Amino acid sequence: MVYHRRDSDPLDFLPLTPVAFEILLSLAEGDQHGYSIMRAVEQRTGGAIEVHAGTLYRAINRLLSQGLVVEIDERPAPEFDDERRRYYHVTPLGLDVLSAEARRLESQVLAARARRLLPSRRGEG
Amino acid sequence: MNRPGRMAAVVIGAALLAFPRRFRRRHGAALRQAAEDRLTKAPAGGRRTPLLRLLLNLLATGFSERVADARERWAWPERGEATGRARMGFPGAATMHLRQALRLFWRQPLFTATAVLTLALGIGASLAILTVANAVLLRPLSYADADRLVMIWSDNPHENRPRNPVSPADFLDYRSATASFSAMEAMYSFLTPVGLQTGAGPEMIQAFVVTPGTFRLLGREAEVGRTFRNGETGVAVLSHAFWQTRFGGDPGVVGRKITMDGQVGEVVGVMPPDFVFPYRTMLGPGGFTRAVTADVWLPLEFRGPRMIDARGAMMRNVHYLAAIGRLEPGRSIEQARADLATVARNLAQAYPDTNKGWGATVVPLYEQTVGDVRPALLLLLVGVGVLMLTSCVNVANLVLARSAARQRELALRSALGASRFRLVLQVLTETLVLSSAGALVALFVVGWGIRALVALAPPEIPRIESVRPDATVLVAALAAAVVAGLLAGLVPALATTRADIRGTLQEGSRGTIGGRHRRTRAILVVAEVSLAVVLSIGAVLLGRSFLRLLDVDPGFRPDHLLTMQMNVPPRFNTADLRRQFYDDFFQRLETLPGVSAVGGTTRLPLGSTNVSTQVIVEGRALDPARLPEVEFRRALRRYFRAMGIPVLQGRDFDERDTAAAPPVAVINQAAARRLFSGEDPVGKRVQLGSTPGPVWMTIVGVVGDVRHVSLDTEPAPELYVCAVQNPPVAPFIVLRAQGDPAALAAAVRARAREIDRDLPIFDVRTMEQLRSESMARRRFLALLALLFGATALALASAGVYGVMALSVAERTQEIGVRLALGARPAQMWALVVRQGLTLIAAGVCVGLVLARLTVPLMASQLFGIDAADPLTLVLVPIVLVGVALLACYVPARRAMRVDPLTALRCE
Repeated sequence: MVYHRRDSDPLDFLPLTPVAFEILLSLAEGDQHGYSIMRAVEQRTGGAIEVHAGTLYRAINRLLSQGLVVEIDERPAPEFDDERRRYYHVTPLGLDVLSAEARRLESQVLAARARRLLPSRRGEG
Repeated sequence: MNRPGRMAAVVIGAALLAFPRRFRRRHGAALRQAAEDRLTKAPAGGRRTPLLRLLLNLLATGFSERVADARERWAWPERGEATGRARMGFPGAATMHLRQALRLFWRQPLFTATAVLTLALGIGASLAILTVANAVLLRPLSYADADRLVMIWSDNPHENRPRNPVSPADFLDYRSATASFSAMEAMYSFLTPVGLQTGAGPEMIQAFVVTPGTFRLLGREAEVGRTFRNGETGVAVLSHAFWQTRFGGDPGVVGRKITMDGQVGEVVGVMPPDFVFPYRTMLGPGGFTRAVTADVWLPLEFRGPRMIDARGAMMRNVHYLAAIGRLEPGRSIEQARADLATVARNLAQAYPDTNKGWGATVVPLYEQTVGDVRPALLLLLVGVGVLMLTSCVNVANLVLARSAARQRELALRSALGASRFRLVLQVLTETLVLSSAGALVALFVVGWGIRALVALAPPEIPRIESVRPDATVLVAALAAAVVAGLLAGLVPALATTRADIRGTLQEGSRGTIGGRHRRTRAILVVAEVSLAVVLSIGAVLLGRSFLRLLDVDPGFRPDHLLTMQMNVPPRFNTADLRRQFYDDFFQRLETLPGVSAVGGTTRLPLGSTNVSTQVIVEGRALDPARLPEVEFRRALRRYFRAMGIPVLQGRDFDERDTAAAPPVAVINQAAARRLFSGEDPVGKRVQLGSTPGPVWMTIVGVVGDVRHVSLDTEPAPELYVCAVQNPPVAPFIVLRAQGDPAALAAAVRARAREIDRDLPIFDVRTMEQLRSESMARRRFLALLALLFGATALALASAGVYGVMALSVAERTQEIGVRLALGARPAQMWALVVRQGLTLIAAGVCVGLVLARLTVPLMASQLFGIDAADPLTLVLVPIVLVGVALLACYVPARRAMRVDPLTALRCE
């Protein structure tokens, strides 16, 4: 049973685990099933982060119970689908938490940058 | 579509089981799909590594999900159950029960300590005995395929001689004529003391003389060097311990020459430390020395005067070899026995003079080694099992008594929705925690207990020296903890949780308990008392057996006697030289101050084993197979006087019996009865069956019977010959002292050195020591049994006290009312005592019935006392009732002093 906590404060969920963050990030682009989330994470990080199925689903399970994602029954392209697949959709609360986490990370990155731990933004091109 | 391999699917499916079921139901299919997709699309060529990593990942995440799941769900399991949302899962519930149990124990340290110590006692004692039994009885012997090894003995049913040593000629025939054995080897059925020449004079060491193939038959190799080669002589193999103590573990010892009894031998090898051969129990009844471990092995040859008789034939009438065989693969012991019996029958037909009446038998080596001690050890195991049971019952009673106070708490939980299963689990968890703590304490105790057991145990128990706590003890402790926890917990768990909730909640504020509950505890006390009765009766019977043994008249006076062994130096190699030597030697000892008589023999009572011979009585034509057998000894000097053996008829050996005089003999009463049945034996002539040629010996006297083998063995017929006419090379010497015999030892050695600097005198002990050692096993058994009995008695008394105290506490109001209504305090006292007495009497009755059933099983361990000894059967219950009544006394006094006003105010 999934229960949404609409009145929850997104800050209550921070910090997210790296895997949860990556999942929400992937789902922010659109609904996806498990394997496509794994692939999206790997592509986005250039293979630096590898998410195994067990890790992925433990995180998904947690996100589901926290109400940050929901399962959806709607299958985008039935002919390519497999009935075992489940698609996941990020909830509004999930998106709020994602941006809150992103802001938290950003402030940390800025703090690191202020201490010259990272090259300046211009240098990156 | 490219599917992952079948194996991958199976692996993933199996790994999914690591996840909680709820999780699997929800995500299993999707997870599996994602995992398979991933594998399918993994770069070609290397699927193994991704699969492995996936597997690890699934297991790790699965279990951590389980833990997280459990933690979340069972943090408040009662709430969960009450709302019907949760089901009991293992880890969480256990943690909760554990926490509750620990909290309870922390609050009741006295109860906890009592229970833990009681269980530690039961478990510790069981473990110690179990370890000893394991090492002695259960561990296989340290030989290759030891279960195929057997010992081969001659036997003579007519003479009641089972497991008799084998004669050399018979052995060779057994070996060549049987097909049931892949190998058969022979050895002397005794250890031979030999003098090892060292820089500081001779050192007596124990040699075991074996045929060269023995090591191969046992399947053991030397640790350093090698064992014997076939037909080899003049060589020696050392034991590990001897190598260490004598040669400092120097590997260069191989090839070194050592001199033993004047003969030079080359050391060819050293055996490994765990190689023990023989065990004392493997030796035949013809053993000579009291030593039990071999220092060195020497090769046995089938030649020389010990093997070949005067006519040049291999000896068939002297039985002194032990034989060991390895069964041919596929042959059973029964086949081997039948095979050997046939050979023995053929030999009896072929050589009726020597072999008529003699058969042959096969005994498994294991049976031979530990068979003797098995009944005693099994008895101890039973005793310790009963003790453990008693301690469990006691703890059950404690838990039950205490849970009386918790009745309301449990009822409340029950009312809030805890199932009976959960409550049972809670109580069981508590007793398991107690028993685990008990087992832990027991582990500390058990090492000490084993050391004490080994120290107390008689050394004749085979393998006792190798007893030490090991990993099996840990496993056994764990098992004991679980068993004890369940035993002690189950009854209280069921009894407590069966109680009627509403009734309990409605009862008075103290949370008293119902009658059924009280009845359960009463039954437990009855059980405890009855077990104590059984153990105490067993203990008293064994104790009285031991006391009976102390009263046994050995047939000689064991006080003020010093005994020792001696080897006559090899240079006295003729009978005449030895006669001169003995004259000189005894004269020197007789003139020692404080010595009242000196003598010697070749077989010392309680200190050596036996050798027997057949006897032909003059003028009586007898079938050779029916010739009577008597134990054979030689008497030196004033042996009978020194020992205090009375001369009943005729005379002792004296100056008339010179080497040139007609041969004479002295027999004991048993022999007089056996050989002459009522006639006066003095003046009659006999011939020894094993002596070649017609040498008639005249019987000049009859002496008293002596208990030779042990105090609890009836005296056997004995025949003594005069040592002057046949001087031995390795006698026992006995000295009767006016004062402390042990104080004479140094002076005796000094006198011996006057004759020969290297005269080996060894194994110097007082007869009292020997007597005490001969009773060691019984003393050990009696001691342990008394310990068990006393412990059981203490536990039972504690149980009676606990129940009565609680009962008085519960009935305080009732007693108060009665007193208020005019009952006298003494009546209240009687009320309590009567109640206690009923319990005790019931326990005693049950115990007597149990004892009646079980005590006959220990008949073999009893001596001079009947298993149904009426005195014991009456005395033990009386003592038990007395002690148990004492346990009632304090609660009864309390009942007497109840203040009616206070009691009623409690309402």
